Parts: sequence; C-alpha cells; structure tokens
Amino acid sequence: MNVGKTSLLHRYMDRTFKDTISTVGGAFFLKQWGPYHISIWDTAGREQFHGLGSMYCRGAAAVILTYDVTSWQSLAELEERFLSLTDTAHHDCIYAIVGNKADLTDTNAQLAQDSDGHSGDSDSLERTDEQVLSACPTPPASPVSLSGLMPHKQVTHEDAVALYGRILRYKGLEETSSLPAEKMCFETSAKTGYNVDTLFETLFDLVLPSILRKRNENQGCTVNLEDSRGGGGSKRSRSGCC
Amino acid sequence: MSVKAFELVPAVERDLLMGDKARINIECIECCGKQLYVGTNDCFIHHFLLDEVTSSKGKLTYFAQKLLHKYLGLKKPVSELRAASALQRLIMLCDGILFLVDMVSLETVPSGGGAKIRGVTAFCVNENPVDGDPFCVEMAVLSSKRRTVQIYTVNKDRVQLVKEVNTPEQPCAVSLDGYFLCLALSTQYMILNYNTGASQDLFPYNSEERTPIVKRISREEFLLAAPGGLGMFANSEGVSQRAPVNWSESVIGAAVCFPYVVALDENFITIHSMLDQQLKQTLSFRDGHILQDFEGKVILASTKAVYVLVPLPLERQIQDLLASHRVEEALILTEGAQRNIPKDRFQILYKRILQQAGFIQFSQLQFHEAKDHFRKGHLDVRELISLYPLLLPASSSFTRCHPPLHEFADLNHLAQGDPEKVLRCKKFLISYLGEVRSTEVVNGCREDVDTALLKLYAEQDHASLLDLLASDNACVLADSVPWLEKYHKYFALGLLYHCNGQDSAALQMWTRVVDGDLQDHTRSDLYEYIVDFLCSASNLDLVWKFADWALHKDPTIGVHIFTKRIASKVQAELNPDDVINYLGKHSQALLLYLEHLVLERRIKKEKFHTHLAVLYLERVLLLLKSPTDEEQLTNARERLQAMLRESSLYRVQFLLGKIENCEQLLLERATLHGKLEEHDKALHILVHKLRDFPSAEAYCLWAASSRDAASRQQIFHLLLQVYLGKPQMAPDGCNGGEMEMAAVDLLNRHGEAFDAVRVLKILPDGWSLQLLKPFVGRAIRASMHACRTSQIAVGLARSENLQLLHDRLKERKKPIVISEKKGCHLCHNTFSEPDVVCLPGGVPVHTHCGAQRIRDSPTKRQLTNSSNHT
Ligand SMILES: Nc1nc2c(ncn2[C@@H]2O[C@H](COP(=O)(O)OP(=O)(O)O)[C@@H](O)[C@H]2O)c(=O)[nH]1
Ligand SMILES: [Mg+2]
Repeated sequence: MNVGKTSLLHRYMDRTFKDTISTVGGAFFLKQWGPYHISIWDTAGREQFHGLGSMYCRGAAAVILTYDVTSWQSLAELEERFLSLTDTAHHDCIYAIVGNKADLTDTNAQLAQDSDGHSGDSDSLERTDEQVLSACPTPPASPVSLSGLMPHKQVTHEDAVALYGRILRYKGLEETSSLPAEKMCFETSAKTGYNVDTLFETLFDLVLPSILRKRNENQGCTVNLEDSRGGGGSKRSRSGCC
Repeated sequence: MSVKAFELVPAVERDLLMGDKARINIECIECCGKQLYVGTNDCFIHHFLLDEVTSSKGKLTYFAQKLLHKYLGLKKPVSELRAASALQRLIMLCDGILFLVDMVSLETVPSGGGAKIRGVTAFCVNENPVDGDPFCVEMAVLSSKRRTVQIYTVNKDRVQLVKEVNTPEQPCAVSLDGYFLCLALSTQYMILNYNTGASQDLFPYNSEERTPIVKRISREEFLLAAPGGLGMFANSEGVSQRAPVNWSESVIGAAVCFPYVVALDENFITIHSMLDQQLKQTLSFRDGHILQDFEGKVILASTKAVYVLVPLPLERQIQDLLASHRVEEALILTEGAQRNIPKDRFQILYKRILQQAGFIQFSQLQFHEAKDHFRKGHLDVRELISLYPLLLPASSSFTRCHPPLHEFADLNHLAQGDPEKVLRCKKFLISYLGEVRSTEVVNGCREDVDTALLKLYAEQDHASLLDLLASDNACVLADSVPWLEKYHKYFALGLLYHCNGQDSAALQMWTRVVDGDLQDHTRSDLYEYIVDFLCSASNLDLVWKFADWALHKDPTIGVHIFTKRIASKVQAELNPDDVINYLGKHSQALLLYLEHLVLERRIKKEKFHTHLAVLYLERVLLLLKSPTDEEQLTNARERLQAMLRESSLYRVQFLLGKIENCEQLLLERATLHGKLEEHDKALHILVHKLRDFPSAEAYCLWAASSRDAASRQQIFHLLLQVYLGKPQMAPDGCNGGEMEMAAVDLLNRHGEAFDAVRVLKILPDGWSLQLLKPFVGRAIRASMHACRTSQIAVGLARSENLQLLHDRLKERKKPIVISEKKGCHLCHNTFSEPDVVCLPGGVPVHTHCGAQRIRDSPTKRQLTNSSNHT
C-alpha cells in the first residue's frame, strides 16, 4: 500500500507533490498526448477494492506496476497479489516496473530533474517551490550524514529486473521478442519529480503505435497502465482519439 | 463542500395513499408523463395525476390528484410496476407472477395465448430495444430456482418468450440494453450478450451481504454497486470509463441525472458529481425506500410518501458555486454541461462563467489564474478597468455588463481599504493591459485601454509611460492632461501633445520645465532634448519660435538647432542667409553657425567666408584691446590665421583694409599679402618688421605649396634677396649678421628650392665655403644627379630610337622608290627632289607635306618618332 501511485500521477498531471488521501475505488485521468487523449487509471490498494483492479486493467495497453524502493514487501505483493489483475489487459500490453520514493535512498533522485526539463507548461510559482525543495534536501543534513538518515534501500534495480523477467514468463511472453527489462524498469520519485516524465513519456511513445494500429483494425482501442504495490494499484490508460 | 444541486419536493403525501393505516407501505412506483402509479404491500395500485406548478418565485410544487386505485386480489405486495405506455399497459409483478393491466382502467388484461409467467423474482424493460417496433416492449425476466434469464416481447395483449440464456449462477438483478444483459449474480456482476451468448465477468460482489444495483444509465453503460460502497461504471465491454463514486455501504437505489449520480441509503440522499467524483450534496431522507428515474425525472419514495428530486437549473448551480468562490468546480460543472446545452448558448454561458471566475480569482489576488480566465472568457478589458476608479476616460461609452460579473463596486471595495492590495491590483492591471493592448482584445476600445494605462503608469511612476507615449497610442488627450499634470509628468505630457500633433504646446511645456517653472525630473537633459526635437521639427515656424529661447539658454548647444538639423526630403530646408540674419543678435551662435557652414559643410560662398574671417578678426581685435587672457588671444589669432591661410574665398582687400594700420597683426597682414601674391610685401613685413625668420620661411613654404617649380624658386629667391639686400633702417637695431645667418640657414635647409648658380652669383664674396657646405654639397649633388639623369635619359632615348629604326628597316627591306612620275600622297604633286618623308606604311610624301601633316595631327609625337627620312 501507499507506494505512491496517486502521487506519481499528481506529479505528472499537476506537476506538484501534495498530500494524498487514500484512493477510494480508483481515479481516472485524461492526458492529452499530441492529438490523442490517453486515459490513465489510478487504482486503489485497499483490500476491499481489490476486485475492481481487473476492471481497470481490461484492455489496457500498458500497465505500470509500482513498488516502494524502501519496502521489499511492496515488491513481493506486486507479484503475489496484483499481477493476476493484469490478466484482463490487452494481449499486447506492455509492463513497466517502477520503484518509487527513490528520493529516500538515492541522492540523485533528490534533484527535481525531470520536471525541470519540461518547464514549459507548469506553473512557475510552484516550480520555484519545487526547486527550493530540491536544492536543500531533508533539512539538517550534508550528503554524508544524510546517508545515515536514509531508509535502507530494500529493493535493488536487479530485483526489479528479475521480477520483470518473471512477469514475462507469467504472461507467456518471449523475453527476446519483448521490450528489454533495462528499458522497462524505472526508479522514480513523485516527491522530486525524478524520472516521472521520462516514465510516462517513454510508455506513451511505446504504446501509441500499437493503439493506432489497433484502431485501424477497428478494434476497441484501449491502452492500459496498471500499477501496484501493497494494496496493488493499477492504472489503465485507454487512448481515445481526440 | 455542498452545492445545492437538487431540491426534494413532496409529490404524494401519506393521506392520499394510506391515510392512517400504519401497516400499509409503498412497494413500487412508476411514472410516465403525468401518470404516477404506486403499488403497495396490500396489493393495491394507486393511479395519480401529477401536476407540476411553478410559483411566481420560480418555486416548483407538485399536486397529486388521485384518479383510481385498485385491488389486485392477491393479498401480496405489488413488488414491481413498469409502464409500457405505447401499449397502454402496465407490467406488474406480484407474488412472483407477471401480468399486464390497462393503464387507465387498471383492469387485468389476459395475456393472450401464453400462460402466466410465474416464479418471477425480477424483471426489467429494455430501454434500448433491438426490435424497432414501437408497439412492442422487450423485457428480461429472472426466475427463482433457475439459472436463466428469459427475454420476452410484450404486445398489447400478448407476452412472448423469445430467448432464454443460462447464467453460471443464480441471477438476482438485471438490466438490459440492446442485447446486453447486465446481471448481478450471487457472487459477481457480469455482462451477457443474449444474442451471442458471450459473457464478460465484471467484478466480484456478494449479493447476500448487500443488495446489488444494476442500473442502466446510458447507452450500453451501467452503474453498479461495488464492494466498499462504491458506485462503479461499466460499459457493455466490461470496461470502466469513469472513475467510481464513493457511496455508503448501504445504498439501495441509484440513478444518474447528469452530471450527478444520485444515490439513496437508509437515511440520506447523496449526490456525487461524475465530473470530479466529489460528493456535492447530501439530503436527509428518512425511511428511504425507492429511488428511480423516469424519463429524466428522479422520484423517491419512503414507505409512506412520494417525492420528486428536482434539479436546480444548471446556471443557478454554477452561480451558487461561484458565489461560494468554488471556481474550479464551477468551471468543471460548466464544461461538463457542454453536451447538454446548445452550442451557442453554451459559448455565452461559458464565457460568462470564465469571466466571473476570473474576477473571483482576481479578488483573491490570484492574478495568474485570473488572467487566464479573462483571456479565455474574452473579457471586455473595460470591465476590469472600470473597477479602478477614474481610469476610464470620461468620453468612454462603456457600461458594465448586466447582470454584473462580480460583486464589487470598485477596487477600494474589493481591497477593503488595504493599500497593499490596491497596489498589487494596480500592478496586475498594468501588466495585463500592457500585454493585451497590442492584441485584438482591445479592438474598439483602444482609447479606453491606452488612457487607463497612461494613468496607471503616471500614478505608479512607471518607466513604461514614456514607451507608451513614444509609440503609437490612442490616449485620450482631454483625460490624460490633468492626470499627467497631477503627477507632474510634464515631460510625458509634452510627448502626449506631440502625439496629438500639438508640438507647440509640447515645447511650451518642456521649456517651462527647463526654466524651472514646473518640476519634473524625468529627464536631466531636457534642454538638449528640446534642441534635438527642434532639429527634427518639420514646422519651421516652431523652430523660429523656440530658437531664441534655446540660444539664450546656451548658444553653443542652441545653435545645434541649425547646425544639426537633420536633412531630409520631407523637411523644409532652412535658408542659411535667413539663419545668419536671425542669428545677428547671437554673436556666439552666429560664429558657430558660420563655422558650420564654412568648415564643416564647406560651402563655397564668398559671403560666408568673408563674414567668418571678419568675425574672427573682430574677436582678435576685441581681445587686443583688453589684453587679459594671453591664451585666449593666441587661440583667437590661430583661428584667424588658419582661416586666412586656408580659405581663398574671402575678400582679401576688405580684410586687409581692416588691419592695415594694426601693427599687432603683422603676421595676418603678411598672409593677406600672400593671398594677393604680394610676396615681397609679405616677406618685407615678416623679415624687417617682425624679424621672424621661421615665419618667413614657413610663409615661403605655404606660398610655394602647390605651385610649379619656377614660382617656388621665385618665392624662395625673393626671401634670400630680402635677407641679403641692403640692411634697411633696422628699427629695433638688429644687425645685418643676423640676417646673413638666416640666409645661410635658409639655403642650407631649403637648398632644393634654389637655383644654385643664381644663388652663388649673388652671395657675398666673403662667405666661407664651410658655412654653406650643406647647401653647396646638396647643390652639387643635385646638379650632378640632374646631369647624370639626363645623360641616362638621352642614352635611353637614343637606344630606343635606334632600336625602332632597326625594326623599321627590317620591316620593309625594299627601298622606297620615288620618281618624277610619282605623286605625293598628300599634295598629289610630283616629286622633284630625292628628299622625301615616308608615312607609316612606307608611303612617300614631300617633306613639307609630311611636316604639315604632323603639325595638324594630334598624335604628332608618335608620328615624328616612327617616321624617318630616307
Ligand atoms: N519520500 C517520498 N514519499 C512519497 C513519494 N510518493 C508518495 N510518497 C508518500 O507516500 C504516501 C502514499 O502516497 P500515495 O500516492 O497516496 O500512494 P498510493 O496509495 O500508492 O496511491 C504519501 O504519504 C506520500 O506523501 C515519493 O516519491 N517520495
Ligand atoms: Mg492512491
């Protein structure tokens, strides 16, 4: 639970990091991407909403499986509880594995890197805040003493890559014909914006051609992002035409 | 949080239904048009006519008139009622039996042919029927103890089974749209296509814990009660296209009344927005029992009475939201309503809401957002300007729109007297107007916008005031003048006058500032500015009018009006004679102007040159009279001398006349004599009167410059003669030795300018060779050089000549034959002598003819060279 799915979406859509309340049922966002609208579902992790996950995943073109880099359990739950929800996704669906809260374990991620590169459309006031925030990391610490305060990183990039391999096997996909793990495993921070734009934009770029192809074949055109941890989140995005 | 989106209005009161019989409860309702049917637990159907009455205040009330009630005779509750109005039938479910009654008489209609359908637990009517026949109703029926769904068609007096599909579990609720059945089974929801049999599981749900809800809300879209008290949306493909809403766990009925989801639980009606999933309104409702929508009308029933949930007009809801400053929600609601409102009406509404939203944000000093909304809402900027007292010009025809876009009288009201707030608002308006003034937003109100901006700039002491006035602008003069005066922006005011073609007023203003009558420190160099301004003023009257003032202030800069005048085709040219006349009383300026004409523009006019020379002279003479400043005098004389030397246009005699008897200006006199070629007089003055030998020498160089060699020699010899001539009566007792030394120096220094032979002849005998060694040495070398050079030249000429001769002979080896019979080519007489001349090409002619021809020919030389006597 609480790996930061909602926060990731807020960061990407609103370009802010704010307090979230536990997601009820699911939430839905529309992202304008060129001439297309991509719909993204944010799933609820709580047990009582578990059954709905497969609804959101239905026909999805991409699923973002999210864990918390400081919690081994979050990665384990992803596999044990949430992977099965993706059964309803489109057979072409692509999977990304995202370790969020990287700012807690990685000094690089404390710099608001991604959102800076895309300063164009965001509110400048908030932007300044964000930079201030990133310029002085958690208050009293120099980087050296900071490492002492940092929560231990419990999930390594290799763990995520291994999970990706297992997911492909679970889906019955050939590793050779699928997207490489290196490309599909991300570490992000919703708090600082680290890697957040990269994550979504990479997926959109990967997913769009296949949606367009499907649309030409007159199939229902659903992209689907799902993600999860603990309570398992799944987002699904469908692309509709504008 | 709350919005007032709906109002609960009683429709049928308890008395009308059951009076005081406590055990009688409402079981089901149906409404079509004005017909309202109520089924009760004592097996009655009640038929009402429901009249809608709107009071003058816009308040809606319902009047129910009871038409009929009928006992169905089964002693069981009437559990469901559906109208098939095209057939004039009610479909009823009572005691597990489905049957038809007449809508008017409420009499049971025998369902012809088929047996009664028994064991029914639930049924639903297809609101999106697959059969196009309007007199045929499709319905889906669930039966107890059977895992099937049966599809029937209902005609006026016949019910017919058309299809039966199996379900994996016992179904307990059903909804039907086209071929799609949306079913609540005992442990999950599913979509089932009864035509193809294809099914799609939706999500798990325990129907024993909670009553399932399957509510068709639009084409192929259903609203379902999900675990965790959610209202989930699902379409016929089993896909959710909207985020769920968060109900309570015990919801018993739900409907959609766009853009809201209305749900009923035991104690409350909750209203969520489908646009942002937020709970918008909660109405307390005791003993809630039924919530259903009929043709867009949401009707509720408690166990004893019937109510209508009346939506408030959308615009009213939006206005309510705005009134509580919930801008985002108001906009979402407006945008969400787009598809329900005709396009042009929507555009007007949306614009207005955007503008109102902008003003709310403006009043909260959220300028960034406010600006966006003003832009998007195409706000007439004057609405905003009019908030600021006195900014709109008096001539503006603007009136605020009605109803008003905001609640504020003016800025002070809005800021509640907080000066800091006022200031921020002003700053915002400055930036906003600055941005829009060059866009089409200000079409038709440029005067208003520019004038407002000018006023703000002036008041806030903003640097852009000058930019505004320097560029194309539409500031209203009458309004701006007092304002600029108020803030002492006199320089700007001048610019404004200038923009309005009132240059004279502008200059008047500025000169008063320079003179200190008015205070404005905008420009410390205002005086220079005025001069520049006059330089380029096209109106000559203006120039004449203000030149006097400018020259009085500072003649050296003031004269720029004339000297720096920008020459251009559009501008009338100033006549120099007029200027000179005009400048008569400004001597210093006149001098500068003449210098400009003579020295800079190099105008070759005697008048100007003489005038300038005379002015120089007068100045020198003036300084001579009161010899206070030596340096000034030297300067003045140098200028005079330079003028006399360099110009050759002034009237020499005239000037000479002026200084003839001035013994202090001998040098100048010498120069003047020089101009008259009176070198002897000049040199006499220099040598004998001034005894200034270097000057004498310099004079020679000056006088000899650009002359031919002979005249040069002449001048230098003249000086030598003066030096060597009989000592005159030396006034200041200098001796002849000094002059001799001067002569020696002259010779030694400028030997090349002399004819050495002539010099040697006139030199006194007693002079030693040693003394003149440099001169003699150079003279000998020069003459040697000349001699040798000429010898070489002769040699070269000879060799060339020979060469040519050789060539020529080679050319034509044959002799030139002449005889007495042959005639001369030029005079056609015969030859009598052997002397002939050949023309080029070897044509023999008489010598005298040839000579004649050469004399006439322009190419004499060549011909001479190339011809030859044979
Ligand atoms: N340090 C840190 N905290 C985060 C980050 N993302 C989310 N959180 C926090 O994690 C908690 C759960 O976030 P939320 O987005 O609601 O998680 P969800 O349940 O997966 O949707 C909140 O307290 C967030 O502030 C992150 O990148 N870094
Ligand atoms: Mg969440």
